[in-house]
Amino acid sequence: MPKTLVQEFTKGLWQELPPFRLVLGLCPTLGVTTSMENGLGMGIATTFVLVGSNLLISMLRSMIPPKVRIACFIIIIAAFVTIVELLMQAYTYPLYLKLGVFIPLIVVNCIVLGRAEAFAYKNKVSLSMADGMGIGLGFTMALGALGAVRELLGHGSVTVWGDFSYNLSASFPSFQPFSFMVQAPGAFICLGLMLCLINAVGD
Amino acid sequence: MNEMVKMVVVLTVLSSVAGGVLAAVNKGTASQIEAQQLTFVKGPAIEAILAGSSINPIQNRVKISDGDVERSFFVGKFDGKTNTIAFEEFGKGFGGDIGVMIGVNLDSDQLVGAAVTVHTETPGLGAKAKDDPSLVSQFKGLSVKEPAKVTKDGGKITSISGATITSRAVCDAVAKAMASYQKMKPQLQQEIQKVGK
Amino acid sequence: MGYFELIIACIFVNNILLAQFLGNCPFLGTSKKMETAIGMAMAVIFVLVVAGTITWVIYTYILVKFGLVYLRTMAFIVVIASLVQFVEMFLKKSIPALYAGLGIFLPLITTNCAVMGVCVLNIDKEFTFLQSLVASFFYAAGFGLALILFAGLRERILLARVPKPLQDTSIALVTAGMISLAFFAFQGMV
Repeated sequence: MPKTLVQEFTKGLWQELPPFRLVLGLCPTLGVTTSMENGLGMGIATTFVLVGSNLLISMLRSMIPPKVRIACFIIIIAAFVTIVELLMQAYTYPLYLKLGVFIPLIVVNCIVLGRAEAFAYKNKVSLSMADGMGIGLGFTMALGALGAVRELLGHGSVTVWGDFSYNLSASFPSFQPFSFMVQAPGAFICLGLMLCLINAVGD
Repeated sequence: MNEMVKMVVVLTVLSSVAGGVLAAVNKGTASQIEAQQLTFVKGPAIEAILAGSSINPIQNRVKISDGDVERSFFVGKFDGKTNTIAFEEFGKGFGGDIGVMIGVNLDSDQLVGAAVTVHTETPGLGAKAKDDPSLVSQFKGLSVKEPAKVTKDGGKITSISGATITSRAVCDAVAKAMASYQKMKPQLQQEIQKVGK
Repeated sequence: MGYFELIIACIFVNNILLAQFLGNCPFLGTSKKMETAIGMAMAVIFVLVVAGTITWVIYTYILVKFGLVYLRTMAFIVVIASLVQFVEMFLKKSIPALYAGLGIFLPLITTNCAVMGVCVLNIDKEFTFLQSLVASFFYAAGFGLALILFAGLRERILLARVPKPLQDTSIALVTAGMISLAFFAFQGMV
Protein backbone atom coordinates (compact mmCIF):
# COMPACT_ATOMS: atom_id res chain seq x y z
CA MET A 1 0.00 0.00 0.00
CA PRO A 2 1.53 3.33 -1.01
CA LYS A 3 2.05 5.69 1.87
CA THR A 4 2.03 9.46 1.92
CA LEU A 5 5.04 11.66 2.46
CA VAL A 6 3.92 12.53 5.95
CA GLN A 7 3.52 8.87 6.89
CA GLU A 8 7.00 8.03 5.63
CA PHE A 9 8.37 10.90 7.66
CA THR A 10 6.57 10.21 10.92
CA LYS A 11 7.19 6.47 10.99
CA GLY A 12 10.81 7.22 11.86
CA LEU A 13 9.68 9.11 14.93
CA TRP A 14 7.81 6.32 16.63
CA GLN A 15 6.87 3.14 14.72
CA GLU A 16 10.37 2.52 13.44
CA LEU A 17 12.25 4.75 15.86
CA PRO A 18 15.94 3.83 15.75
CA PRO A 19 17.69 2.52 17.80
CA PHE A 20 14.74 1.39 19.93
CA ARG A 21 12.33 -0.05 17.40
CA LEU A 22 14.87 -0.95 14.76
CA VAL A 23 17.65 -2.33 16.91
CA LEU A 24 20.39 -1.01 14.61
CA GLY A 25 23.15 1.53 14.96
CA LEU A 26 23.91 0.65 18.55
CA CYS A 27 27.61 1.47 18.49
CA PRO A 28 27.29 5.25 18.22
CA THR A 29 24.23 5.09 20.45
CA LEU A 30 26.25 3.61 23.27
CA GLY A 31 29.57 5.21 22.49
CA VAL A 32 28.87 8.91 22.17
CA THR A 33 25.94 9.50 24.51
CA THR A 34 28.05 10.50 27.49
CA SER A 35 26.47 13.94 27.13
CA MET A 36 23.39 15.35 25.42
CA GLU A 37 25.55 17.60 23.26
CA ASN A 38 27.56 14.70 21.84
CA GLY A 39 24.40 12.68 21.25
CA LEU A 40 22.72 15.50 19.31
CA GLY A 41 25.90 16.22 17.34
CA MET A 42 26.23 12.58 16.33
CA GLY A 43 22.54 12.43 15.44
CA ILE A 44 22.78 15.47 13.19
CA ALA A 45 25.89 14.14 11.42
CA THR A 46 24.16 10.81 10.84
CA THR A 47 21.02 12.54 9.57
CA PHE A 48 23.07 14.46 7.01
CA VAL A 49 24.61 11.23 5.70
CA LEU A 50 21.26 9.44 5.77
CA VAL A 51 19.38 12.11 3.82
CA GLY A 52 22.23 12.60 1.34
CA SER A 53 22.75 8.93 0.60
CA ASN A 54 19.00 8.21 0.43
CA LEU A 55 18.56 11.07 -2.03
CA LEU A 56 21.41 10.04 -4.29
CA ILE A 57 20.69 6.31 -4.22
CA SER A 58 17.04 6.91 -4.98
CA MET A 59 17.96 9.18 -7.89
CA LEU A 60 20.42 6.69 -9.33
CA ARG A 61 18.40 3.58 -8.56
CA SER A 62 17.60 2.77 -12.20
CA MET A 63 21.29 3.00 -13.12
CA ILE A 64 22.76 0.87 -10.35
CA PRO A 65 23.00 -2.80 -11.40
CA PRO A 66 21.50 -5.06 -8.68
CA LYS A 67 24.59 -7.25 -8.40
CA VAL A 68 26.93 -4.47 -7.36
CA ARG A 69 24.36 -2.38 -5.52
CA ILE A 70 25.95 -2.85 -2.09
CA ALA A 71 29.33 -1.71 -3.41
CA CYS A 72 27.68 1.36 -4.96
CA PHE A 73 25.82 2.16 -1.73
CA ILE A 74 29.03 1.89 0.25
CA ILE A 75 30.89 4.24 -2.06
CA ILE A 76 28.10 6.82 -1.92
CA ILE A 77 27.79 6.57 1.86
CA ALA A 78 31.55 6.74 2.36
CA ALA A 79 31.68 9.89 0.25
CA PHE A 80 29.03 11.58 2.38
CA VAL A 81 30.73 10.49 5.59
CA THR A 82 34.02 11.97 4.43
CA ILE A 83 32.26 15.23 3.58
CA VAL A 84 30.78 15.34 7.10
CA GLU A 85 34.18 14.51 8.56
CA LEU A 86 35.84 17.37 6.71
CA LEU A 87 33.05 19.85 7.46
CA MET A 88 33.09 18.99 11.15
CA GLN A 89 36.85 19.43 11.28
CA ALA A 90 36.46 22.79 9.62
CA TYR A 91 33.59 24.21 11.65
CA THR A 92 33.03 22.25 14.88
CA TYR A 93 36.50 21.07 15.78
CA PRO A 94 35.96 20.45 19.53
CA LEU A 95 32.93 18.26 18.77
CA TYR A 96 34.94 16.45 16.11
CA LEU A 97 37.59 15.62 18.70
CA LYS A 98 35.01 14.36 21.19
CA LEU A 99 33.19 12.10 18.75
CA GLY A 100 36.54 10.84 17.47
CA VAL A 101 36.50 7.43 15.85
CA PHE A 102 32.70 7.37 15.69
CA ILE A 103 32.52 9.84 12.81
CA PRO A 104 34.28 7.68 10.22
CA LEU A 105 32.22 4.83 11.67
CA ILE A 106 28.97 6.38 10.42
CA VAL A 107 29.94 4.58 7.23
CA VAL A 108 29.31 1.23 8.90
CA ASN A 109 26.22 2.36 10.79
CA CYS A 110 23.67 -0.33 9.96
CA ILE A 111 20.87 2.26 9.88
CA VAL A 112 22.33 4.09 6.90
CA LEU A 113 23.06 1.01 4.80
CA GLY A 114 19.80 -0.55 5.97
CA ARG A 115 17.71 2.39 4.76
CA ALA A 116 19.58 2.46 1.44
CA GLU A 117 18.89 -1.23 0.83
CA ALA A 118 15.39 -1.48 2.28
CA PHE A 119 13.96 1.84 1.20
CA ALA A 120 15.87 4.22 -1.06
CA TYR A 121 16.70 1.57 -3.67
CA LYS A 122 12.99 0.78 -4.11
CA ASN A 123 11.25 4.13 -3.72
CA LYS A 124 10.81 7.55 -5.29
CA VAL A 125 13.14 10.43 -4.50
CA SER A 126 10.62 12.42 -2.47
CA LEU A 127 9.62 9.42 -0.36
CA SER A 128 13.26 8.48 0.23
CA MET A 129 14.02 12.00 1.41
CA ALA A 130 11.09 11.91 3.83
CA ASP A 131 12.22 8.50 5.06
CA GLY A 132 15.80 9.66 5.58
CA MET A 133 14.74 12.79 7.43
CA GLY A 134 12.27 10.94 9.63
CA ILE A 135 14.68 8.19 10.62
CA GLY A 136 17.48 10.72 11.06
CA LEU A 137 15.37 12.97 13.26
CA GLY A 138 14.20 10.00 15.31
CA PHE A 139 17.80 8.85 15.76
CA THR A 140 18.90 12.36 16.79
CA MET A 141 16.09 12.59 19.34
CA ALA A 142 16.86 9.16 20.74
CA LEU A 143 20.57 9.93 21.07
CA GLY A 144 19.81 13.31 22.59
CA ALA A 145 17.40 11.76 25.10
CA LEU A 146 19.81 8.99 26.07
CA GLY A 147 22.63 11.50 26.35
CA ALA A 148 20.49 13.80 28.48
CA VAL A 149 19.52 11.01 30.90
CA ARG A 150 23.09 9.79 31.26
CA GLU A 151 24.54 13.28 31.66
CA LEU A 152 21.86 14.28 34.15
CA LEU A 153 22.30 11.23 36.34
CA GLY A 154 26.04 11.00 35.89
CA HIS A 155 27.01 14.65 36.35
CA GLY A 156 23.89 16.10 37.94
CA SER A 157 23.44 18.73 35.23
CA VAL A 158 22.87 19.05 31.50
CA THR A 159 24.39 21.69 29.25
CA VAL A 160 23.88 22.03 25.51
CA TRP A 161 26.18 24.38 23.62
CA GLY A 162 26.22 26.73 26.56
CA ASP A 163 22.72 28.01 25.77
CA PHE A 164 20.60 25.60 27.68
CA SER A 165 21.44 24.16 31.01
CA TYR A 166 19.61 22.47 33.81
CA ASN A 167 21.08 21.60 37.15
CA LEU A 168 19.44 18.69 38.90
CA SER A 169 21.60 18.92 42.00
CA ALA A 170 20.38 22.49 42.55
CA SER A 171 16.71 21.50 42.35
CA PHE A 172 17.09 18.42 44.50
CA PRO A 173 19.89 19.00 47.01
CA SER A 174 19.71 15.42 48.23
CA PHE A 175 20.55 14.06 44.75
CA GLN A 176 24.05 12.65 44.39
CA PRO A 177 25.38 12.27 40.83
CA PHE A 178 26.63 8.74 40.16
CA SER A 179 29.32 8.67 37.52
CA PHE A 180 28.48 5.03 36.78
CA MET A 181 25.95 6.35 34.24
CA VAL A 182 28.51 8.10 32.05
CA GLN A 183 30.87 5.14 32.06
CA ALA A 184 30.71 2.09 29.81
CA PRO A 185 28.48 -0.25 31.88
CA GLY A 186 25.99 2.54 32.49
CA ALA A 187 25.51 2.94 28.74
CA PHE A 188 24.30 -0.63 28.28
CA ILE A 189 22.06 -0.62 31.31
CA CYS A 190 20.57 2.79 30.60
CA LEU A 191 19.78 1.86 26.99
CA GLY A 192 18.31 -1.48 28.10
CA LEU A 193 16.02 0.19 30.61
CA MET A 194 14.95 2.88 28.14
CA LEU A 195 14.11 0.18 25.62
CA CYS A 196 12.07 -1.57 28.30
CA LEU A 197 10.20 1.66 29.01
CA ILE A 198 9.43 2.21 25.33
CA ASN A 199 8.24 -1.38 24.98
CA ALA A 200 5.97 -0.96 27.98
CA VAL A 201 4.49 2.30 26.65
CA GLY A 202 4.23 1.01 23.08
CA ASP A 203 2.28 -2.05 24.05
CA MET B 1 28.69 -9.74 -20.98
CA ASN B 2 26.69 -6.58 -21.36
CA GLU B 3 25.75 -6.66 -17.72
CA MET B 4 29.37 -7.13 -16.74
CA VAL B 5 30.40 -4.04 -18.72
CA LYS B 6 27.62 -2.01 -17.15
CA MET B 7 28.68 -3.05 -13.67
CA VAL B 8 32.27 -2.06 -14.25
CA VAL B 9 31.32 1.23 -15.87
CA VAL B 10 28.91 2.20 -13.10
CA LEU B 11 31.40 1.39 -10.35
CA THR B 12 34.25 3.21 -12.08
CA VAL B 13 32.20 6.31 -12.80
CA LEU B 14 30.81 6.36 -9.28
CA SER B 15 34.22 5.99 -7.66
CA SER B 16 35.83 8.66 -9.77
CA VAL B 17 32.98 11.11 -9.21
CA ALA B 18 33.12 10.44 -5.47
CA GLY B 19 36.90 10.89 -5.49
CA GLY B 20 36.60 14.14 -7.40
CA VAL B 21 33.93 15.56 -5.11
CA LEU B 22 35.97 14.64 -2.04
CA ALA B 23 39.10 16.22 -3.47
CA ALA B 24 37.15 19.42 -4.05
CA VAL B 25 35.65 19.44 -0.54
CA ASN B 26 39.06 18.67 0.92
CA LYS B 27 40.58 21.58 -0.94
CA GLY B 28 37.77 23.91 0.02
CA THR B 29 37.97 23.13 3.72
CA ALA B 30 41.75 22.72 4.05
CA SER B 31 42.59 26.23 5.22
CA GLN B 32 39.62 26.33 7.59
CA ILE B 33 40.62 22.97 9.10
CA GLU B 34 44.17 24.15 9.54
CA ALA B 35 42.95 27.27 11.34
CA GLN B 36 40.69 25.19 13.61
CA GLN B 37 43.46 22.78 14.50
CA LEU B 38 45.76 25.67 15.26
CA THR B 39 43.15 27.33 17.45
CA PHE B 40 42.28 24.26 19.49
CA VAL B 41 45.52 22.31 19.58
CA LYS B 42 48.23 24.95 19.50
CA GLY B 43 46.08 27.95 20.37
CA PRO B 44 46.39 27.70 24.16
CA ALA B 45 50.19 27.44 23.97
CA ILE B 46 50.48 30.31 21.52
CA GLU B 47 48.22 32.48 23.64
CA ALA B 48 50.24 31.74 26.74
CA ILE B 49 53.49 32.72 25.05
CA LEU B 50 52.33 35.71 23.06
CA ALA B 51 49.85 37.03 25.63
CA GLY B 52 49.19 40.73 25.14
CA SER B 53 49.87 40.77 21.41
CA SER B 54 47.80 43.43 19.65
CA ILE B 55 47.30 41.20 16.58
CA ASN B 56 46.03 37.61 16.48
CA PRO B 57 49.12 35.40 16.02
CA ILE B 58 47.11 32.54 14.49
CA GLN B 59 45.69 34.71 11.73
CA ASN B 60 49.02 36.43 11.24
CA ARG B 61 51.15 33.38 10.64
CA VAL B 62 53.88 33.14 8.05
CA LYS B 63 55.15 30.00 6.38
CA ILE B 64 58.81 29.54 5.56
CA SER B 65 60.25 26.42 4.00
CA ASP B 66 63.13 24.87 5.87
CA GLY B 67 64.69 22.20 3.69
CA ASP B 68 61.85 19.80 2.85
CA VAL B 69 59.39 20.91 5.49
CA GLU B 70 57.33 24.05 5.68
CA ARG B 71 57.19 25.67 9.09
CA SER B 72 54.55 27.97 10.46
CA PHE B 73 55.65 30.95 12.52
CA PHE B 74 53.07 32.82 14.57
CA VAL B 75 53.74 36.51 14.75
CA GLY B 76 52.90 38.72 17.71
CA LYS B 77 52.90 42.52 17.87
CA PHE B 78 53.93 44.29 21.07
CA ASP B 79 54.10 48.05 21.59
CA GLY B 80 53.58 48.60 17.87
CA LYS B 81 56.48 46.37 16.84
CA THR B 82 56.10 42.98 15.19
CA ASN B 83 59.23 41.51 16.67
CA THR B 84 58.11 38.34 18.42
CA ILE B 85 57.43 34.97 16.89
CA ALA B 86 56.33 31.59 18.20
CA PHE B 87 56.85 28.22 16.55
CA GLU B 88 56.76 24.55 17.38
CA GLU B 89 59.45 21.91 17.61
CA PHE B 90 59.37 18.27 18.75
CA GLY B 91 61.44 16.19 21.13
CA LYS B 92 61.38 12.45 21.83
CA GLY B 93 59.73 11.87 25.20
CA PHE B 94 58.95 8.81 27.28
CA GLY B 95 55.67 8.00 25.55
CA GLY B 96 56.27 9.55 22.12
CA ASP B 97 56.82 12.93 20.56
CA ILE B 98 56.40 16.01 22.70
CA GLY B 99 55.53 19.23 20.94
CA VAL B 100 56.93 22.42 22.43
CA MET B 101 55.95 25.87 21.27
CA ILE B 102 58.64 28.48 21.90
CA GLY B 103 58.49 32.21 21.56
CA VAL B 104 61.52 34.32 20.54
CA ASN B 105 62.05 38.06 20.47
CA LEU B 106 63.90 38.88 17.26
CA ASP B 107 65.45 42.09 18.59
CA SER B 108 67.00 40.65 21.71
CA ASP B 109 67.35 37.02 20.56
CA GLN B 110 65.85 35.96 23.87
CA LEU B 111 63.17 33.40 24.56
CA VAL B 112 59.92 35.01 25.69
CA GLY B 113 58.39 31.74 26.75
CA ALA B 114 57.76 28.06 26.04
CA ALA B 115 54.74 25.79 26.38
CA VAL B 116 53.97 22.16 25.68
CA THR B 117 51.37 21.63 22.93
CA VAL B 118 50.96 17.86 22.57
CA HIS B 119 52.34 14.95 24.53
CA THR B 120 51.59 11.35 25.51
CA GLU B 121 53.53 11.30 28.79
CA THR B 122 52.49 9.53 31.98
CA PRO B 123 49.77 11.41 33.88
CA GLY B 124 51.11 12.82 37.15
CA LEU B 125 54.76 12.53 36.12
CA GLY B 126 55.81 13.53 32.61
CA ALA B 127 52.45 15.14 31.98
CA LYS B 128 53.45 17.81 34.48
CA ALA B 129 55.54 19.32 31.69
CA LYS B 130 52.28 20.66 30.31
CA ASP B 131 50.21 21.17 33.44
CA ASP B 132 52.82 22.57 35.78
CA PRO B 133 54.59 25.71 34.53
CA SER B 134 57.72 25.22 36.68
CA LEU B 135 59.67 23.51 33.90
CA VAL B 136 58.76 25.62 30.88
CA SER B 137 58.92 28.93 32.77
CA GLN B 138 62.67 28.41 33.21
CA PHE B 139 63.23 28.97 29.50
CA LYS B 140 61.94 32.51 29.66
CA GLY B 141 64.74 35.05 29.22
CA LEU B 142 67.22 32.47 27.98
CA SER B 143 69.33 33.64 25.05
CA VAL B 144 69.08 31.51 21.92
CA LYS B 145 72.85 31.00 22.05
CA GLU B 146 72.79 29.45 25.50
CA PRO B 147 72.46 25.67 25.68
CA ALA B 148 69.06 24.40 26.78
CA LYS B 149 69.97 21.46 29.01
CA VAL B 150 68.88 19.98 32.30
CA THR B 151 71.23 20.31 35.28
CA LYS B 152 72.20 16.64 35.08
CA ASP B 153 73.59 17.29 31.59
CA GLY B 154 75.42 20.42 32.69
CA GLY B 155 72.71 22.94 31.87
CA LYS B 156 70.62 25.33 33.91
CA ILE B 157 67.19 23.79 33.69
CA THR B 158 65.94 21.98 36.78
CA SER B 159 64.07 18.90 35.60
CA ILE B 160 60.70 17.71 36.93
CA SER B 161 61.37 15.16 39.64
CA GLY B 162 60.55 11.66 38.43
CA ALA B 163 60.42 12.75 34.81
CA THR B 164 63.96 13.27 33.62
CA ILE B 165 63.32 11.82 30.19
CA THR B 166 60.39 14.16 29.64
CA SER B 167 62.38 17.15 30.84
CA ARG B 168 65.26 16.22 28.56
CA ALA B 169 62.88 15.88 25.63
CA VAL B 170 61.47 19.34 26.27
CA CYS B 171 65.03 20.78 26.44
CA ASP B 172 65.89 18.89 23.31
CA ALA B 173 62.93 20.40 21.48
CA VAL B 174 63.85 23.88 22.68
CA ALA B 175 67.49 23.39 21.62
CA LYS B 176 66.41 22.24 18.17
CA ALA B 177 64.09 25.20 17.90
CA MET B 178 66.89 27.60 18.88
CA ALA B 179 69.13 26.10 16.21
CA SER B 180 66.57 26.45 13.46
CA TYR B 181 65.75 29.95 14.63
CA GLN B 182 69.37 31.03 14.26
CA LYS B 183 69.53 29.46 10.82
CA MET B 184 66.33 31.06 9.62
CA LYS B 185 66.55 34.46 11.26
CA PRO B 186 67.34 36.46 8.09
CA GLN B 187 64.35 34.97 6.26
CA LEU B 188 62.17 35.48 9.29
CA GLN B 189 63.03 39.14 9.56
CA GLN B 190 62.04 39.71 5.94
CA GLU B 191 58.78 37.81 6.27
CA ILE B 192 57.52 39.43 9.44
CA GLN B 193 58.01 42.90 7.98
CA LYS B 194 55.14 42.03 5.62
CA VAL B 195 52.92 41.15 8.57
CA GLY B 196 53.58 44.47 10.21
CA LYS B 197 51.94 46.36 7.38
CA MET C 1 54.24 0.61 25.40
CA GLY C 2 55.41 -2.99 25.51
CA TYR C 3 53.63 -5.75 23.65
CA PHE C 4 52.43 -7.42 26.84
CA GLU C 5 50.68 -4.25 27.98
CA LEU C 6 49.27 -3.80 24.50
CA ILE C 7 47.81 -7.32 24.55
CA ILE C 8 46.23 -6.88 27.99
CA ALA C 9 44.90 -3.47 26.97
CA CYS C 10 43.35 -4.82 23.78
CA ILE C 11 41.66 -7.87 25.29
CA PHE C 12 40.55 -6.58 28.68
CA VAL C 13 41.03 -2.91 29.49
CA ASN C 14 39.88 -1.45 26.18
CA ASN C 15 37.69 -4.38 25.22
CA ILE C 16 36.30 -3.46 21.86
CA LEU C 17 32.71 -4.44 22.70
CA LEU C 18 32.34 -3.58 26.34
CA ALA C 19 34.56 -0.53 26.76
CA GLN C 20 34.66 1.02 23.28
CA PHE C 21 31.17 0.00 22.12
CA LEU C 22 32.27 -1.13 18.69
CA GLY C 23 30.54 -4.04 17.00
CA ASN C 24 27.40 -4.11 19.09
CA CYS C 25 25.02 -5.05 16.28
CA PRO C 26 26.51 -8.52 15.72
CA PHE C 27 27.08 -8.74 19.49
CA LEU C 28 23.34 -8.69 20.10
CA GLY C 29 22.46 -10.37 16.82
CA THR C 30 24.59 -13.51 16.96
CA SER C 31 24.72 -14.15 20.68
CA LYS C 32 21.44 -16.03 21.05
CA LYS C 33 23.13 -19.34 20.37
CA MET C 34 26.59 -20.46 21.41
CA GLU C 35 27.24 -22.03 18.01
CA THR C 36 26.69 -18.87 15.98
CA ALA C 37 28.60 -16.83 18.54
CA ILE C 38 31.69 -19.01 18.10
CA GLY C 39 31.39 -18.86 14.31
CA MET C 40 31.03 -15.10 14.35
CA ALA C 41 33.98 -14.71 16.70
CA MET C 42 36.20 -16.78 14.40
CA ALA C 43 35.08 -14.88 11.30
CA VAL C 44 35.78 -11.55 12.99
CA ILE C 45 39.24 -12.64 14.15
CA PHE C 46 40.16 -13.73 10.64
CA VAL C 47 38.76 -10.69 8.84
CA LEU C 48 40.11 -8.25 11.39
CA VAL C 49 43.70 -9.49 11.31
CA VAL C 50 43.80 -9.36 7.53
CA ALA C 51 41.92 -6.06 7.29
CA GLY C 52 43.95 -4.42 10.06
CA THR C 53 47.26 -5.12 8.38
CA ILE C 54 46.13 -4.38 4.82
CA THR C 55 44.57 -1.05 5.75
CA TRP C 56 47.69 -0.09 7.71
CA VAL C 57 49.88 -0.78 4.68
CA ILE C 58 47.53 1.09 2.35
CA TYR C 59 47.31 4.06 4.68
CA THR C 60 51.03 4.35 5.32
CA TYR C 61 52.39 3.58 1.87
CA ILE C 62 49.68 4.95 -0.41
CA LEU C 63 47.43 7.49 1.26
CA VAL C 64 50.07 9.31 3.31
CA LYS C 65 52.61 9.21 0.53
CA PHE C 66 50.35 10.80 -2.04
CA GLY C 67 48.63 13.22 0.34
CA LEU C 68 45.27 11.46 0.04
CA VAL C 69 44.63 11.09 3.77
CA TYR C 70 41.11 12.44 3.35
CA LEU C 71 40.20 9.31 1.36
CA ARG C 72 40.85 7.13 4.42
CA THR C 73 37.23 6.25 5.19
CA MET C 74 36.53 5.40 1.57
CA ALA C 75 39.64 3.26 1.09
CA PHE C 76 39.15 1.33 4.33
CA ILE C 77 35.53 0.45 3.72
CA VAL C 78 36.25 -0.72 0.18
CA VAL C 79 39.07 -2.97 1.42
CA ILE C 80 36.91 -4.41 4.17
CA ALA C 81 33.91 -4.96 1.91
CA SER C 82 35.92 -6.83 -0.71
CA LEU C 83 37.66 -8.87 1.96
CA VAL C 84 34.36 -9.98 3.46
CA GLN C 85 33.13 -10.95 0.01
CA PHE C 86 36.21 -13.11 -0.36
CA VAL C 87 35.74 -14.80 3.01
CA GLU C 88 32.11 -15.47 2.14
CA MET C 89 33.04 -17.18 -1.13
CA PHE C 90 35.74 -19.16 0.62
CA LEU C 91 33.42 -20.43 3.37
CA LYS C 92 30.63 -21.27 0.91
CA LYS C 93 33.00 -23.52 -1.06
CA SER C 94 35.03 -25.12 1.72
CA ILE C 95 32.99 -25.09 4.96
CA PRO C 96 29.31 -25.05 3.89
CA ALA C 97 28.14 -26.04 7.38
CA LEU C 98 29.65 -22.95 8.97
CA TYR C 99 28.40 -20.85 6.08
CA ALA C 100 24.85 -22.05 6.68
CA GLY C 101 25.17 -21.33 10.39
CA LEU C 102 26.39 -17.78 10.01
CA GLY C 103 23.88 -17.08 7.26
CA ILE C 104 22.91 -13.45 7.13
CA PHE C 105 25.58 -12.28 9.56
CA LEU C 106 28.60 -12.81 7.36
CA PRO C 107 27.81 -9.93 5.00
CA LEU C 108 27.12 -7.92 8.13
CA ILE C 109 30.81 -8.08 9.07
CA THR C 110 31.20 -5.36 6.45
CA THR C 111 29.05 -3.11 8.59
CA ASN C 112 30.62 -4.39 11.80
CA CYS C 113 32.02 -1.29 13.41
CA ALA C 114 34.57 -3.39 15.27
CA VAL C 115 36.44 -4.19 12.05
CA MET C 116 36.40 -0.67 10.65
CA GLY C 117 36.91 0.78 14.13
CA VAL C 118 40.08 -1.16 14.86
CA CYS C 119 41.51 -0.21 11.46
CA VAL C 120 40.88 3.47 12.24
CA LEU C 121 42.18 3.13 15.82
CA ASN C 122 45.43 1.58 14.58
CA ILE C 123 46.01 4.68 12.50
CA ASP C 124 44.83 7.18 15.13
CA LYS C 125 47.11 5.68 17.78
CA GLU C 126 50.06 5.82 15.36
CA PHE C 127 50.89 2.15 15.76
CA THR C 128 53.78 0.56 13.90
CA PHE C 129 53.11 -2.35 11.55
CA LEU C 130 53.82 -5.00 14.17
CA GLN C 131 51.78 -3.17 16.80
CA SER C 132 48.84 -2.97 14.37
CA LEU C 133 49.07 -6.68 13.70
CA VAL C 134 49.15 -7.52 17.40
CA ALA C 135 46.40 -5.03 18.24
CA SER C 136 44.14 -6.28 15.44
CA PHE C 137 44.44 -9.87 16.57
CA PHE C 138 43.92 -9.21 20.25
CA TYR C 139 41.11 -6.71 19.79
CA ALA C 140 39.37 -9.42 17.77
CA ALA C 141 40.18 -11.98 20.46
CA GLY C 142 38.64 -9.65 23.03
CA PHE C 143 35.58 -9.39 20.81
CA GLY C 144 35.37 -13.18 20.63
CA LEU C 145 35.79 -13.58 24.38
CA ALA C 146 33.05 -11.09 25.20
CA LEU C 147 30.73 -12.54 22.55
CA ILE C 148 31.15 -16.11 23.78
CA LEU C 149 30.75 -15.17 27.45
CA PHE C 150 27.64 -13.23 26.57
CA ALA C 151 26.17 -16.06 24.48
CA GLY C 152 26.55 -18.39 27.46
CA LEU C 153 24.60 -15.99 29.63
CA ARG C 154 21.92 -15.44 27.03
CA GLU C 155 21.25 -19.15 26.66
CA ARG C 156 20.45 -19.16 30.36
CA ILE C 157 18.26 -16.08 30.19
CA LEU C 158 16.07 -17.89 27.67
CA LEU C 159 15.07 -20.25 30.46
CA ALA C 160 14.34 -17.51 32.96
CA ARG C 161 11.04 -15.76 33.39
CA VAL C 162 11.49 -12.16 32.28
CA PRO C 163 8.79 -9.43 32.47
CA LYS C 164 7.30 -8.80 29.05
CA PRO C 165 8.65 -5.31 28.28
CA LEU C 166 12.14 -6.38 29.32
CA GLN C 167 12.24 -9.41 27.04
CA ASP C 168 14.76 -9.98 24.27
CA THR C 169 16.98 -7.00 23.42
CA SER C 170 16.18 -5.06 26.55
CA ILE C 171 17.32 -7.73 29.01
CA ALA C 172 20.24 -8.51 26.72
CA LEU C 173 21.46 -4.92 27.02
CA VAL C 174 21.16 -4.94 30.79
CA THR C 175 23.10 -8.23 30.90
CA ALA C 176 25.76 -6.75 28.64
CA GLY C 177 25.98 -3.89 31.13
CA MET C 178 26.73 -6.39 33.89
CA ILE C 179 29.53 -8.03 31.89
CA SER C 180 30.83 -4.60 31.03
CA LEU C 181 30.86 -3.82 34.74
CA ALA C 182 32.96 -6.94 35.33
CA PHE C 183 35.41 -5.87 32.63
CA PHE C 184 35.44 -2.42 34.17
CA ALA C 185 37.51 -3.88 36.99
CA PHE C 186 40.45 -4.10 34.58
CA GLN C 187 40.45 -0.31 34.24
CA GLY C 188 43.70 1.23 35.35
CA MET C 189 45.62 -2.02 35.03
CA VAL C 190 47.70 -0.74 32.14
